[in-house]
Order: sequence, then structure tokens, then C-alpha cells
Amino acid sequence: MKITIDNKEITVIEGETILEAARRNGIEIPSMCYAEGKRHQAGCMVCTVKELKSGRMLTSCSTKPTEGMEIDTSSEEVIRQRTMALELLLSDHRADCEAPCSMVCTHKLDVEQMLAAYDRGDYAQAQAIIRRDFGDKIACDDCKAPCEKACRRGTVDKAVAIRDIIREVAAMEVEEVKPVASIAKLGKDIFFSRVGIFNQKEKDYLRQTTTTPSRCLHCACEGREACRLRRYSTDYGIKRSRYGLSSKLPVKLRIDVSERLGFEPAKCIRCGLCVYNTENGFTFLRRGFDMQVIIPEQNMANAYDELAEICPTGALFIKK
Amino acid sequence: MSCQNCLNNIDDERRAVAKRVDAIIERVGRTREMTIPLLQALQEEFSYLPSDALERVYERTEITRANLISVATFYSQFKLIPYGKHTIKVCIGTACHVKGAGAVYDAFRRELDIAEDSVTTADGKYSVEKIACLGCCALAPVVQIDEQIYGHVQPGRVKAVLEEHEEFLKSAPKGADDENGEVTYVGEVRLGMENCCQVSGTAEIYKAVMKAQHELGVAVRIKPISCVGACNQVPLIDVVDSTGEITRYPNVRAEEIKEILLHHFPAASPLKRLKNAVLNQIDMLHTDQTWDNILYKPEKERTGEINTFLDHQVRISTEGYGHINPLDLDEYRAHGGFEALEKVIKSGDRDALINDVLASGIRGRGGGGFPSGRKWQLVAAAKGDKKYVICNGDEGDPGAFMDRILLESYPLRVIEGMLIAAYAVGAQKGIFYIRAEYPQAVIRITKALDMCRRQGLLGENIFGSDFSFEIEVFKGAGAFVCGEETALIGSIEGKRGFPSQRPPYPAEQGLFGCPTLINNVETLSQIPYIIRRGVEEYRKVGTEKSKGTKVFALAGKVRHGGLIEVPMGTTIRQIVEQIGGGVEGGERLKAVQTGGPSGGCIPAELCDTEVDFDALNRLGAIMGSGGMVVLSESDCMVDVARYFLNFTSEESCGKCTFCRVGIHRMLEILDRLCAGKGQEGDIERLEELALAVKRSALCGLGNTAPNPVLATIKYFREEYEEHVKGYCRTGTCKDMVKYVVTDACIGCTRCAKVCPVEAIEYKPYEIHAIDTDKCTMCGLCITECEFDAIKKMPLKTL
Repeated sequence: MKITIDNKEITVIEGETILEAARRNGIEIPSMCYAEGKRHQAGCMVCTVKELKSGRMLTSCSTKPTEGMEIDTSSEEVIRQRTMALELLLSDHRADCEAPCSMVCTHKLDVEQMLAAYDRGDYAQAQAIIRRDFGDKIACDDCKAPCEKACRRGTVDKAVAIRDIIREVAAMEVEEVKPVASIAKLGKDIFFSRVGIFNQKEKDYLRQTTTTPSRCLHCACEGREACRLRRYSTDYGIKRSRYGLSSKLPVKLRIDVSERLGFEPAKCIRCGLCVYNTENGFTFLRRGFDMQVIIPEQNMANAYDELAEICPTGALFIKK
Repeated sequence: MSCQNCLNNIDDERRAVAKRVDAIIERVGRTREMTIPLLQALQEEFSYLPSDALERVYERTEITRANLISVATFYSQFKLIPYGKHTIKVCIGTACHVKGAGAVYDAFRRELDIAEDSVTTADGKYSVEKIACLGCCALAPVVQIDEQIYGHVQPGRVKAVLEEHEEFLKSAPKGADDENGEVTYVGEVRLGMENCCQVSGTAEIYKAVMKAQHELGVAVRIKPISCVGACNQVPLIDVVDSTGEITRYPNVRAEEIKEILLHHFPAASPLKRLKNAVLNQIDMLHTDQTWDNILYKPEKERTGEINTFLDHQVRISTEGYGHINPLDLDEYRAHGGFEALEKVIKSGDRDALINDVLASGIRGRGGGGFPSGRKWQLVAAAKGDKKYVICNGDEGDPGAFMDRILLESYPLRVIEGMLIAAYAVGAQKGIFYIRAEYPQAVIRITKALDMCRRQGLLGENIFGSDFSFEIEVFKGAGAFVCGEETALIGSIEGKRGFPSQRPPYPAEQGLFGCPTLINNVETLSQIPYIIRRGVEEYRKVGTEKSKGTKVFALAGKVRHGGLIEVPMGTTIRQIVEQIGGGVEGGERLKAVQTGGPSGGCIPAELCDTEVDFDALNRLGAIMGSGGMVVLSESDCMVDVARYFLNFTSEESCGKCTFCRVGIHRMLEILDRLCAGKGQEGDIERLEELALAVKRSALCGLGNTAPNPVLATIKYFREEYEEHVKGYCRTGTCKDMVKYVVTDACIGCTRCAKVCPVEAIEYKPYEIHAIDTDKCTMCGLCITECEFDAIKKMPLKTL
């Protein structure tokens, strides 16, 4: 069967969707809710294409082509619909991609990762991160500590004493280790979330539940490197969603699904990939805007680590 | 240490629950498709879904935890927290909304003193909830307590309604169907027995007729009949005297019954006659009512208007209105019922049948207007050993009740239509999908199916042919999206009501993967007529591209609401003015809303538009399933748009981004506008979102959800602009007005007495004042004031 995509004639293999045919021919169509070889149902609407004959918008990930179909994947109209879909997803997504402390550090210290090691009691690793980013000299002494000013813990009660912790760790006697690879610093053009503001209920919740030694909230998303929402937002030049941030998603709730697999519902875009690809594992709760993806405790044994790979955002992640 | 006794008690309790659950599983089934019926049965048993019961379901059935959670939390019928003993359902359908249902809900909460974060009274007796639509729109605002429906419940009547219900609970109702042997009837009293009539007290009338018969010593046959359609004139009875003459009495009251009967049927014996003469005198003395005071008058004298209501209608779906007993199969057959089925089966020519339906030009009445014959062709041509026919009775639109009345009043006709369809496409199994809010319809259809089965009209070898067909009833569980055919199929299969990608269309791969024909109730109800009277006869009715009649549920600010059936091509104005008797309360017509949450508003100046699928589409309204809500100049169009969007937002299944998030964002903008917090650019933002959602949402619900917004912006943009500036010209949006007492006040104190929150100080003979801080704007004082002295005053002026 032959169809044209962006005026290019291509041959479709039996059973293939428009998206698969396009990708096989090097035409990139973004998609969130599709994962190759996995069960899925169209829902994210990011893979929208236009069928020129009927003028209809189609979800390319779930539409099988018909003979002679003419598909447009790149006109302004298509881009506009996709951008809108991404913006709507972002408006209901706690897109805390980066921790604010790391973003403002003049020496680009990966503060959050260092504090994570500190909280685990892995002081060697914490020190290794400091040495990697600072070199031999502790840069904090002459610094006015923008990290502490940016710290979101400060909006809850009191900012984490980042400088004190750095000094404490630096002074420790530990055996030398290699620091874990740092997250590649992203260029200026990358989509950065607008860090949301906690409401009173969330503050109370955070105050009571955050009990790590450093009191760090670990603001940054665990799955940011692989996050397709972030990548596409960058591609489509979205700086932030124009639509209100009235997400009902729970702040900072991280669930241990298994030894390695973590789940942060606030990052979920409800594409359902994890639901469709577990047997009696993840499931939908409620409907409409209130719809959530959950996993009952009794079902956790039915989840598996590879789900983190098919999750389009950092909602499902492998714990570090 | 826990007390062993208590532990034993808990164990006992658990065991008892498990036993009850096991019995239900045994009765209903344990496969995945049975998820919804099973949950419905559990809820009926426990009045909610207790977690212990659900645990038992996981243990004993195929239904997994993930599946059950996703289904139980999807459908609004299922309750996961305990409810009170009695549930008060306040209808917030369109007609009820424009007549102040929000205030009624608040009034119930206030009257019952329900805590803010709860829906149940502290003593666990009553729970209050809002419900999408009870389908009794002509009686708005409507409230249902348990199975009882109360009509015209204004906030001021809330207390009385609760008292009435308490009375009802005390007097345990008993079945009144006792027939005593051979009786010679002198005549007949016909009594509307569908929902609207029952609401307005047919039961009382029934009792009164029974009592009067006894007192007068005459025997009249009491015959339950189908809906006449004059739902605002109920209760309504027809009296047929010994000569066969029919006299209709609209709006009768129980106390009038005896007089009416006496008027038509002289008392049996001289003694009885004398006794009654005396009794009448005594009655008069007791009640201080003279003969003239009793409002018994035949309909022509009484209203004169009910005939105009009925005159302009043409009856196909509602053929036999007012004289056919919904559940009398012999009578239905005597009026030509099942002749059409017999004809098609005897002829045996399926292709000719489908061609007839195609030639008749009938288009699907569920809203889309797809040619029905074409659909039949597709299913007939589809390959498959097993085929299904589904009758879509999931009439979820607020403000629509056509399907309910057709199912309740003409169940046999719909069944016949389904049988003909099944024969045409070669199906073996039929399913009536009826929404749970219509218990009466479920009962009627179930009974009608039993009758058909007994007469061999259903089952093996119908009319001696090789055609065998079986029909069952599936109760919907409360999800508007299930009106969409793929979602409906999902729901019958025991899943969430997620629509799925088309193609494949249900005609090829529908229920359980088999070719499936899905037709709306009204469509099926027109089929027997087409076959019996012939294609030409049917094509005479209607317009060029829309044939036949259309049933509408006329409600809102109209004097005579009810179920009407008009030929296609009737203008909207004719419907409102001639059939509906114009706008109630002498107000001016502002717009007519058609198609419910998927439709639009037709402004008064365009009301000469004919009712026709394409003509309505061009206006940005749609035919929809047939809800028609009349709006007057006191209705705020921004509020109307917000009302519908609130509905679709709650009913969105959540699968696709545009519908789940997009509609919610639109609603946020409208909420802002109605709260007087509009921002510059809101209208443009709203339009942009609306167009994107309309263009790209996955299913019909999402595609059409922006219509009410787009249509109101198109025709009433200036009202939106006013809202951005914080002004609502009708005073509907509460945040933009305050209540003030004007100089017209004479100090009668009635407002002070009626105010539920003590915002008006009691000052006899002085002009009263309203404390705006306390005032909740429930509107009770405005209705109570006889001097029209309380006004809604805008906070801002333009």
C-alpha cells in the first residue's frame, strides 16, 4: 500500500500505523503515549497529523493508513495542535525538571545529587561530587549562597543549610570514590519548568513527611533525561504553558513500587502505558480531569522495572 | 489486648458479608463482562460498595483488583463511601438548572444541616447528591428521594417535601392491583403511569379512584396508559363513559375524583345516591368547600390550550399516545403492532427490507444523523457468525427525556423495531442499554420482553420462521460518554467507558469483536411505522434531507413543556409558540438550546429555522437527541455555557488530552468570567481552546463539547464582554450582584421570616434591608415577596 507523508511517497507494510510508517522512513512524529511493541491507546494527542483529503486530524500512533492517504505532519496547523496538546499536558504536570539550588549555583554544583548522597549516608559519594564540581577549593566561603535563597524548603519552613552541609562533607575523612556521572547540563534553549508554588496543605504535608538528615525536598525530577515531554516542549519552543496550573496531583509523593522502580504520580500524564502493559498492576482511578493512575499495594508485585523505560515522563523511574 | 468477643464479632460480620456477596456472585456471574451488573447488585444489597465485599469479589471472581477499581471509580452510580439510609437526588439537568436547581440543593443541605465536607446528615438518615438529569424536565426543579420523585421543588418547598417524604415512609405503600372477580364495568378511567405523571401524584389519584368507586358503588376499569406528552398538565386522566365518549381532565386533584366520577357515572342504587348526596353535604360542611370551589372542569373549559399543545404534532414514535396501555401486548397488536415484523419475516427478503429503510431516508435520531439504512447495510454485509443489535437508551443529556418516555410508554414498539433491525442484519442477540437513572424504563422493557417471549415474538423461530432472537437488558451505570457507541460497547464488556478508535466501526467489529448494529431508541421506534405504512407514506413527512418526525423534550422557560413529536421542517418558533404556548411568565424569548451539552443555542431572531439535521448544524446547534430547552431574557448565556461545560468536564472519560485537560481549562476561564474575575483576552483564549478541542478530541463527546461555548460566543458575544468587565445583565451570576430591598417594600416581614440565614432583620411596617454579608442569594425572599420589592442589583455598572 502506498501513501504520501509530507508529499513523499512511501510504502506501508501491512499492519503498520501511520506513525510507524513515518518513523521507518525517517519522518519524525512526536508521541508520548506510544511505545514501540507495547500495548497502547491513543490519548496524548501529541502525534496528531492531518489527513489532507478529509481535512481530519488523526492520531498517527493508532491510525492504520488506507490506500492513497495523504498525510501532513508539518504544516503550521498541525504544529499548532501539537503545541496546544503539549501545553495542556504541561499545565497538568508538576514539571519540576531541575532543582532550583543547582540551577542558581555559580559553580554549577549538582547540589541536589550531593544532598541525596548525604541523605543516604554515602558521604564518600557526596564528597566526590563536591570535588568534581568545585575542584579542590570550597567555593562557598565568598559566596552569597543563592542556592539557599532559591531552596524551596525555604517556602515550606526554613531553607536547607546547604553551605554548612558542603563544609561538613568536605571536611570528612572518607575513602576516595569516583563520582557518579553528572546529569548533562542542558543548554539555554531547553525547556525549564516554572517551579510551582506549594499551597498550605502541601507545605504541611512536606513538613511532616520530609525526614531526611538534610531536610532536602529533592525537587528535581528523577526521570528528566529521558522525559519526552521535556524534549518535545523544547523542540516546539514552549517556555511554559499558557494555561493555569491548577493540577490536583499530589506534590512530592514518591511511591516505592519495587526495590528499583519508583513512581511519582505528580509527573504522570495519564497516557496509560503502564496500565495497558501490566496485568492487574497499574490502574486508572476516577475519570475526566480527576483521573489518576495508581497502583494498589497488593498489585505492586505485578509491576516490573522496564516500565520506567516506556513511561514517557519521569513518573516511573529507576531509583538511584 | 483486644477483647476476644470483639474479634469474634468482626469475624462474624465479615463472614456474613462474604455470604451475602457469594450469593450475589452466584446469581450474577463471575466473569469479567459481569463487572458492572455485579457492582450494581452489590450496591443494591449494601447501598454502597464496602471494601470487605470488594475483597470477596477479588477472591471469588475473574475480576481483578485493577479492573474493578478502574470500573467502580469510573461510573458515577457507584459509591465507595457509606451513604445515608435515604438518598436525595437533586436533578441539575438543564431545565432544572435554569429554574434554580443549585439553590434547591443548597436548601436541602441547609434544611438537613449537613456538614460542609459531607453529603450525609450526622444521624446517617439522609444523603444529598446532585444528579445529571432525572428526565422529568417538564416538572423542573425535580428531586428524587429514594424511588419517589417530587416535582416543582422550589427552595421554599424543601421542608414540605421532606415532611411529605416522612409521611410517605410512615405509610408503607402496598400494591393496589387487587382485582376481585367478575365485575361489570360502566366505564374506564385512563391514568398516565409514566414518570412525570407518577411524580405529580398519579398514585394518589389511583387511590382516590378506588375509594370513590367503592363509595359510589360503581365499577370503572382503571387503565394505565402511556404518556400523553402534556407533562406539565399532569396528573391527567381521561374518563371514558358507557357511550365511549372521552373527557380529559388535566391537572386533576385527588379530592376532585369523586365528583368527576359522579358526574359521569350515576351511583349504582337509589340508596347509594341518597347516601352520596348526604355525604356531599357533610363534606361541604367539613371542608368549607362548595361545589363551585372544586376545580373540576373538563379540559376544554379549564385550559383550552392543551389541545393546541397536541394539535400541531404528528405521531409516529408516539403513535397511540394517550390510549395505549404500554404493557398490553394484545392491545398493541390490535392496533397493528407486530404486523410490520410479521410482514418482513413472511416476505423473507432482507435486502428489500434494508432498501426500504434506506429509501425512507430515516437518519439516526441519537444525534449524529447518520442514515440508518446505511448502517444496516454495513452490519448486514459484515462477516461474522454472531451479530448483535444494541438499542442505545443511554440518554445522558441533561434536559432530554425522549428515550425515557418512549421506553416507558411504547416499549413494545421499540422492541418490534429492534426485532425488525435484527432480522434485517441477521443478528441473534439484542441488548437494551438503558441508563440506571431510568428504573421505570428498565422495568417496563423487562416486562414487555417477558410478554413477547410468552407470545413467541421473541425466542426461537419467530412467526414460524428460522429467525430466532433473544433480547436482554443492560443497565448503564452513569456515564454520559457511554452514549458514544464504542464507549457503550466497552461498558457492556465490563470495562471503563473509554471510547476507542474508529475504524474499525462497530458495524465490523463491535461487541465482543462481533458486527454490531447500534440504533437509538427513537430510531427503532420509527421502523415499524415505515414498514407498516410504507416508505412513501413515511417520506411524505419531513423535509428534503430529514424525513419523518422528531421527538423533542420541550422544557425550560416554556408554558407547556412535555414530550412532543413534530414533523421535520417545523420551525423552532412554531414549537415554542404554538405547541409550547410561548415563554412562561410573559418574558421574551432569548434563545432555544438544542442538543444539550453537544449542541448550541439558537437565538430568538433565528428561531424561524426549520427543524432539520443540516439546518441546525449550519447554525452551530445540532439536532442532538432532542432536548429542547427554552431560555428567556432572564437567563445568562455565559452561565448556560458554563453549565454545559461543567457537565462535559465531569463526564469526560479522561482518555485524551484535549478533552480531559482542554475542557477543564475552558471551564476555568468560564468560572472566572462568572465569578466576575474575567481577564482581558479571556474570550479569545476560550475560543482558541474551544476550536482546538473541537478539532482534535478523540470522540464525539469531546468534539462537540465546545459547541455550547462557541455558539453562545457567536450569538451573544456582548454578554461575554460584559462579564469580562464584571457585569451580568441578568443577575444570574451571583458574584456580580447583590440583593437589595427597594422602596416598594411595605414591611410585611415575609422576607425576614423566610430567609434561611437571617440576613433580613424583622422590622414590621418598615422598609427591610438585606445584610449582603450573610445573604446566600438563594432567591427565597424574591419569590416570597408579593410586592416585587427585592431586586438583584449589579455590583458594577458598565
